[in-house]
Amino acid sequence: MADTSKALALIDLALQATEAYGRPDLSGRLRATRARIADPDVRVLVVGEFKQGKSALVNALVNADVCPVDDDISTAVTTVVKYTSGQPAVTVVRETAAAGDGESREERTDVPLEDVQRYVSEAGNPGNRENVSYVEVRLPRRVLSTGLVVVDTPGVGGLGSAHGQMTMGALPTADAVLLVSDAAQEYTAPELRFLTQAMSLCPNVACVLTKTDLYPEWRRIAELDRGHLTKAGVAAELLPTSSVLRQVAARTNDAALNEEAGFKALVGYLRDRVSRQAEVLDRRSASQDVLSVVEQMAQKMRTELEAQQDPGQAEALIARLKDAQERAESLKKRSARWQLTLNDGFGDLQSDIEYDLRDRMRSIQKEAEERVDEVDPLDVWDQFADWVHSAVAGAASTNFVWASQRARHLAGQVADHFVAGGQQALPAIERLGPRGLGGQVNPMIRPDMERYRLGQKLFTGIRGGYGGMLMAGMATSLAGLAMINPISGGVALLLGAKGVKEEKTRLLAKRRADAKSSVRKHIDDVSFQVGKDSRDMLRMVQRTLRDHFQDLAQELTTSMSESVKSAQEAVRTVTTDREKRVKDLQAELERLAAVEKQAHDLVAADPKR
Amino acid sequence: MTSAPPRQNLGSRARSLLRSALDEYADSPQAAGWLRHHLDRFDEPLRLAIAGKVKAGKSTLLNALVGEEIAATDAGECTRVVTWYSDGPSPRIVLHPREGEPRQLRTRRGEHGGLVVDLDGTPPETVDRLTVDWPSSGLRTTALIDTPGIASLTADAAGRAGEFLTPDEAPGQADAVLYLMRHLHAADARFLESFHDRHVARATPVNTVAVLSRADEIGVGRLDALLSARRIAERYRTDEKLSTLCQTVVAVAGLLALTGRTLRQDEYLALRGLAAVDRSVTEGLLLSADRFVTPPPSLSAALPDSVGAEVRAALLARLGVFGVRTSLSLLRQDPSTDAAALAAALVARSGLDELRTVLDTQFTERRDLLKARSALLAVELVVRREPRAGSRALAGEIEKVFAGAHEFAELRLLSALRSRTVTLSPEAREEAERLVGGAGSRTAVRLGLDPEADAGACRVAAVEALGRWRKRASSPLSDRATADACGVVVRSCEGMLVSLTSP
Repeated sequence: MADTSKALALIDLALQATEAYGRPDLSGRLRATRARIADPDVRVLVVGEFKQGKSALVNALVNADVCPVDDDISTAVTTVVKYTSGQPAVTVVRETAAAGDGESREERTDVPLEDVQRYVSEAGNPGNRENVSYVEVRLPRRVLSTGLVVVDTPGVGGLGSAHGQMTMGALPTADAVLLVSDAAQEYTAPELRFLTQAMSLCPNVACVLTKTDLYPEWRRIAELDRGHLTKAGVAAELLPTSSVLRQVAARTNDAALNEEAGFKALVGYLRDRVSRQAEVLDRRSASQDVLSVVEQMAQKMRTELEAQQDPGQAEALIARLKDAQERAESLKKRSARWQLTLNDGFGDLQSDIEYDLRDRMRSIQKEAEERVDEVDPLDVWDQFADWVHSAVAGAASTNFVWASQRARHLAGQVADHFVAGGQQALPAIERLGPRGLGGQVNPMIRPDMERYRLGQKLFTGIRGGYGGMLMAGMATSLAGLAMINPISGGVALLLGAKGVKEEKTRLLAKRRADAKSSVRKHIDDVSFQVGKDSRDMLRMVQRTLRDHFQDLAQELTTSMSESVKSAQEAVRTVTTDREKRVKDLQAELERLAAVEKQAHDLVAADPKR
Repeated sequence: MTSAPPRQNLGSRARSLLRSALDEYADSPQAAGWLRHHLDRFDEPLRLAIAGKVKAGKSTLLNALVGEEIAATDAGECTRVVTWYSDGPSPRIVLHPREGEPRQLRTRRGEHGGLVVDLDGTPPETVDRLTVDWPSSGLRTTALIDTPGIASLTADAAGRAGEFLTPDEAPGQADAVLYLMRHLHAADARFLESFHDRHVARATPVNTVAVLSRADEIGVGRLDALLSARRIAERYRTDEKLSTLCQTVVAVAGLLALTGRTLRQDEYLALRGLAAVDRSVTEGLLLSADRFVTPPPSLSAALPDSVGAEVRAALLARLGVFGVRTSLSLLRQDPSTDAAALAAALVARSGLDELRTVLDTQFTERRDLLKARSALLAVELVVRREPRAGSRALAGEIEKVFAGAHEFAELRLLSALRSRTVTLSPEAREEAERLVGGAGSRTAVRLGLDPEADAGACRVAAVEALGRWRKRASSPLSDRATADACGVVVRSCEGMLVSLTSP
């Protein structure tokens, strides 16, 4: 917290400077950074197979009964638990995709605290008939006050299911993932598979071993699990916990019991690793933004100072500056190298992503048709539909994850080219180095990801918008096939044993054809929707990057022209005023240097990347 | 015991079919060997396989059913090889490798009484199966087969379980399956599905019973955990998807059942000692497994010396947190409870008795039917694999038995009823399921009477049911499928009446 306020104070200082030195054009970026840092959400996704104690873990963590826990009924809707300094409150959020622009609309309804159950649990809201996207619970809890946002995901269907694949799509937008597994048994294959995938998508992955109070052998299980993690090459911490003990400890204020519950380690992990990492990122971007702004303001003063101190050289200086100004100007042109990289890169990326999606879908379709040919769709339709559904959802989310990873990589490249382009022309910004500009790209892209429709939809659940599309698509194809059941069943009973055979073959062929066509239709629907979402996402990233660098180029041009102006003015200054002006400028530059030093100090203690 | 309709018929038909197939294929060593094997199998005890995901508690339940700790159990994944347990005059373990001659292994008992299987350095993946002979009354009527877990991390172990229980095309090695699951999971449903062969006459959940295992852990070990577990089992039973895959679902706490059946006097005394301590102390102890073994000083001071840390650790391993909690509550409610009564109460609570009743009605009473089914599938496989001149006649014969035997008609109807492909009102469907033997094939059970009801009462009920279903069958409002279904029920009623009137 203290560090965040330091960063904020530094930005405020830099903002004041931009006002004082008449450069309001530089303040926009600082304001955006300030807003991002002031809203310090750190999102932690709680995932796992069902009935492993995810909701109980969240409850014990925040010491409140927010997520309904039951022996039988599972959580049906994602619950988001975040901090408030006021009264506890619950908001039910329904998202609808508006027609036309593709943007989604949120409808938020406040409900009484005790009504959570009605919306969240499978019992109160079977199959999510309330059509809730997610439920937001705000609590005045210290553990959340650092901006921790805990997301309890529904366990329905397990990790390998379509729903699990949706969770996968939400991973790149999370700051940390906790995989919850109880101490009844060691890791299973799906859990380990999830962990290895999660490691490549999310910066922090931790394994939580729950219910250690119930299983005397939990140490053995923990040891076995650690062995599995090492063997799979997953460098994730394993944290044994007991939600029951934690709650008893909180009730009775028993320190020893709290120690045994193991939550200290979990809270410590969230604070020291997850929150701190987010803070480091915040500080880094604050420091870099301030440095870049200060540098641009100092540029003007330095040139004036130079001109004042040595008026004879002023003309040469002005000529040099004008040249630099021109080059800065050229960065804004469409033909600039970074612009080309950006446009070509996104063009290529888009076609790659589309090809990848089509390729994935085609192989699923092929495999589905082969499978249909081996069996009678009537016997296995439910399993088959599940399989198609999860394979398609999996392919869609992998494709999406790949798209976002490549977009991020491309953003880095564009930043490099921008800096390289600037370097020749503007020796001044060399001091920031490519790291400075490249570094801004990362934190800038990351939070924005959440706005892209696909990520948001994948995260909020399977209803509404994108997820709803998948479900609805399958539901209709399912409905189509369900019609076959009673009819063909009836026919088998109706005909005698002899004639049944030919009739059966004919019906089987028809069923197979029907099954194949509904798979094709489903894949078509999904490809269409996912393709559109991917395109929208990429276009959004492209636009964001373009605007960002465009602004940067504009700032540089302004700085240069200011410098030229001040150098020209310096030449005209009367000799008697010159000494005073030099002193003033030196004082100003010292002040700016002090701000610069603060910006350096802010990140001095952080580990280098 | 009266049973309906007469069944020896089907058994002998299947047997004679096997014999004539054997004559036909006498010159093919592979086919003949296969058929002879199935003929031998006909007279062997029913084979019950215990399957399920990793750590579902398969070995523990197997031990509980036998009443002895023979299968080794462990907190980690333990059973890696398919193991057959059957009754024999003396303990003996034989290893059947995938290739080569079977050989006998040393028999040694571990410290917990479980059989220690030492493969002698043979890699598990080269072992086809182990057969264990063990003198036990619990294995006399049923041979039990322990299998490695599905979705196991050791990919090969999982592969072997799937292969064993779902061999391609061939009839299963097991006559019936007990499927264990902790909670219904997508992998469970897929597995149950794949266990059923796909042929029209045979796609039936008749040989599978699902068990909600480790039931004591469901309510995080609370005293009412088993009530919760039973409620969940009840819900699964009526779940449409699951009811097409298995006969019924039973909740069982395997560990509790096993310990109940093998409770020792010293354990009883230790529990007594704990029950005598103040309730607040034991509640503090039972907060967690760790505390129970190494409690904070404030609690350990109040404990009797006779119940030391080692004794407590042993108790916990045998009973689990829930078992200890339940035992203490039982002993406190009635301080006069002796060791035998406590053991009986634990078994009763574990749900084991319920499971045994289900096994009796679903499998043991249907033994001939299940055996005949396995035999017919075996002959059919041979006929399909090695078609020759005489195989057409055999195939026709198989078709005739499957289509003609009323038992199979009942099975088909049962699965049609469960998959809701026949339209009947819920009450009528329930009655039809019962009448064709869905709850057990004894006449009284089919008629929904007390199992001990006498022949007179049965006759009255059967006549009533017959009238009711005749009317339904001839109703002009029923569609053809429903009318056919009603016809099968009518035949079942008639069969019952015949067996009730004939001596």
